[in-house]
Amino acid sequence: MPPRASKRKTAPPNSSSVTSSDGRSVLSKAKTKGLEKIDRLFNSYANSSSGVIDPDGIEALCSDLGVDYTDVRILMLAWKLKAAKQGFFTQDEWRTGMKALGVDSLSKLKKALPLLEIEVGKPSNYEDFYTYAFRYCLTEEKQKSLDIESICELLNLVLGAQFRPQVDSLIEYLKVQSDYRVINLDQWKNFLRFFQEISFPDLGNYDSCLAWPLILDNFVEWMKEKQHS
Amino acid sequence: MGGSLYQRIEKECEEHISAALRSLVGQSPDLVVFLSLVEKCWQDLCDQMLMIRGIALFLDRTYVKQNSNVRSLWDMGLQLFRKHLSLAPEVEHKTVTGLLRMIESERLGEAVDRTLLNHLLKMFTALGIYSESFEKPFLECTSEFYAAEGMKYMQQSDVPDYLKHVEMRLHEENERCFLYLDAITRKPLIATAERQLLESHIPAILDKGFMTLMDGHRIEDLQRMYSLFSRASLDSVLEESFSKNEAFCNTIKDSFEHLINLRQNRPAELIAKFLDEKLRAGNKGISEEELEGTLDKVLVLFRFIQGKDVFEAFYKKDLAKRLLLGKSASIDAEKSMISKLKTECGSQFTNKLEGMFKDIELSKEINESFKQSSQARMKLPSGIEMSVHVLTTGYWPTYPPMDVRLPHELNVYQDIFKEFYLSKYSGRRLMWQNSLGHCVLKADFPKGKKELAVSLFQTVVLMLFNDAQKLSFLDIKDSTGIEDKELRRTLQSLACGKVRVLQKFPKGRDVEDDDSFIFNEGFTAPLYRIKVNAIQMKETVEENTSTTERVFQDRQYQVDAAIVRIMKTRKVLSHTLLITELFQQLKFPIKPADLKKRIESLIDREYLERDKNNPQIYNYLA
Repeated sequence: MPPRASKRKTAPPNSSSVTSSDGRSVLSKAKTKGLEKIDRLFNSYANSSSGVIDPDGIEALCSDLGVDYTDVRILMLAWKLKAAKQGFFTQDEWRTGMKALGVDSLSKLKKALPLLEIEVGKPSNYEDFYTYAFRYCLTEEKQKSLDIESICELLNLVLGAQFRPQVDSLIEYLKVQSDYRVINLDQWKNFLRFFQEISFPDLGNYDSCLAWPLILDNFVEWMKEKQHS
Repeated sequence: MGGSLYQRIEKECEEHISAALRSLVGQSPDLVVFLSLVEKCWQDLCDQMLMIRGIALFLDRTYVKQNSNVRSLWDMGLQLFRKHLSLAPEVEHKTVTGLLRMIESERLGEAVDRTLLNHLLKMFTALGIYSESFEKPFLECTSEFYAAEGMKYMQQSDVPDYLKHVEMRLHEENERCFLYLDAITRKPLIATAERQLLESHIPAILDKGFMTLMDGHRIEDLQRMYSLFSRASLDSVLEESFSKNEAFCNTIKDSFEHLINLRQNRPAELIAKFLDEKLRAGNKGISEEELEGTLDKVLVLFRFIQGKDVFEAFYKKDLAKRLLLGKSASIDAEKSMISKLKTECGSQFTNKLEGMFKDIELSKEINESFKQSSQARMKLPSGIEMSVHVLTTGYWPTYPPMDVRLPHELNVYQDIFKEFYLSKYSGRRLMWQNSLGHCVLKADFPKGKKELAVSLFQTVVLMLFNDAQKLSFLDIKDSTGIEDKELRRTLQSLACGKVRVLQKFPKGRDVEDDDSFIFNEGFTAPLYRIKVNAIQMKETVEENTSTTERVFQDRQYQVDAAIVRIMKTRKVLSHTLLITELFQQLKFPIKPADLKKRIESLIDREYLERDKNNPQIYNYLA
């Protein structure tokens, strides 16, 4: 048998930067100027000693963008940046994000926000964004769950606009129940699916014999009791 | 010639019979009197037809036989009677009414003329109208009667009394079939009675009385309940269609089973406790047969328990106590119970229990050879006798390790025994279970010498007073090293109960930190040998809870293991199929919600994941 021609992956031209440990990047000349602008924007918010944008910097950024610190669009920005740690943007993340948005100035960034919202709202992205939102809130290294308080805030932030009545009911339930003190990613993921698939407020098409997490079985039971009393 | 003779006889008979029946019309408003008249009429007919037949015997044997369309004289008489009875419907109707009234009176406790009933019902049978004219309305009447009675009694009486009443009624109706009803009526009659008295009240009966019977250990009453219920459905099997009934049979069994298991582990616990009481020594006045009978009855209930592992845990715990403290009433009875359980549940269930018996017997042999051994003869301190039970871990319940600082002599004894044992069985590890030890102490009280049967912990405490007159709680705690709660319990049993070998200051039920204890100089008791170790036989609340908790914890592990095992084999499985598989594999009751909890725990621990494309599917994560 003749040997198969191996498929070798060739690196595309103008590959994105490979950052070496001392911060220098390797790029073609055409991009350098754009990158400089991005870096300058970064530096205007970054903490000079740590070299990253910290919560203060983000607050300043928000103020300049005209959005509230707690606005969901900042979360969306973090998602676009693929930011790893809540409240912080590293230079790499910043560069990645700005380039992906195609912006290199504050005014351009401001204009890009509505487009970002639309992008996040696309079905192909939304689930990813939703999952990201959860992970973003995990602060400790081995942490896998979020406390109820944080979950409620996150639900409100991420899903409040789209699923107001459902979110309000679920938040109310989460606060009164005592079975769970934390919520994990599996349960979080299923909240979205629940809102998307189950008719509200009758919950008529909910079947607890299916693979819904137990917390949602309990939520539905609680809702039904409330409706009957 | 035969023909015309026959016809003339027939004509004569007809005239006579029709006149006789017509004469009954409008006769006597009193039904019993009326019935007697009917009976006489019938009796006369029979007598007369017999005579006629006797006279015209030759006719019967020749002409009738040769002509197939001609009835025998006797049958002809019957047929005429039937014909004219139907022409006077009020007579038949009045007769039936009268009969039903009589039966109702008897049911209400009055004495009735059973012979009259008997003859008249035989008449109906002879006339071939029994089923249609009598049995049908009779069963309807019965149904109404027992429907009303059932409701009345259910409201008035408690469940055990109601069931006794039902049993009595069923017996009565059965008797009725011997006394005057035709035998064919038995089955539908009993079925009707059961339907009205039992089946329609089953939910109420179970609701009202079941728990009371369970709590009160009313084995006999429960047995009656079960046998009545299962009979009720068995008889219906013969009556109605098979499929309809199988569902019902299962419904009875299921609802019984459901109720018995509603209180989760309580029935299992209660049954085990009940057995413990029966198998323990001190049950004077109960014969071997009675005990066997009781054990059999208990087994009937045992079949309904779903969480048999809870029963096993409690039974094992109690059996261990009985065996180790020598409290079994009869080893034969113990072994009989084990073999009954084995028949019920298979040998896997009873393997460990049987192992316990083996250990006891083996221990006897070990003790014998220990006494003969060189170690024993040379090195043992004098003045003490000791015997050891060597238990195989795994057969016996798990006992929390309890440390204690033993008196020197006991330590020496333990070491020597250990040396002997390990010389015979190398490679084994012995762990002394101090909480199970018990001793007989010789005590010198000023008012008389006594022997005290005490637990090991009590022994250790008491022996401190060989060297001191008064000791504080904290002193005792330091010297003995006994765990706090256990020590308080021990001291309480020595100073605050009926038998006060020690005295506590200040007085009071509970042992407080500041208490002190002294040897009770003034101790007296009627007997020479006194039991003070009753606390070992008693169950603490903690023991109970921990036994149950352990079983539930164990179940959790089993569920997890089952899920992983199933998923490892199937790799990919839907939620509903996984649940179905689990219900098939798991031998104890568990709710689907609990299964979901374990599945989610395993997802969290990354043994499985939900499929990205189909949320109903789980994937095994290798």
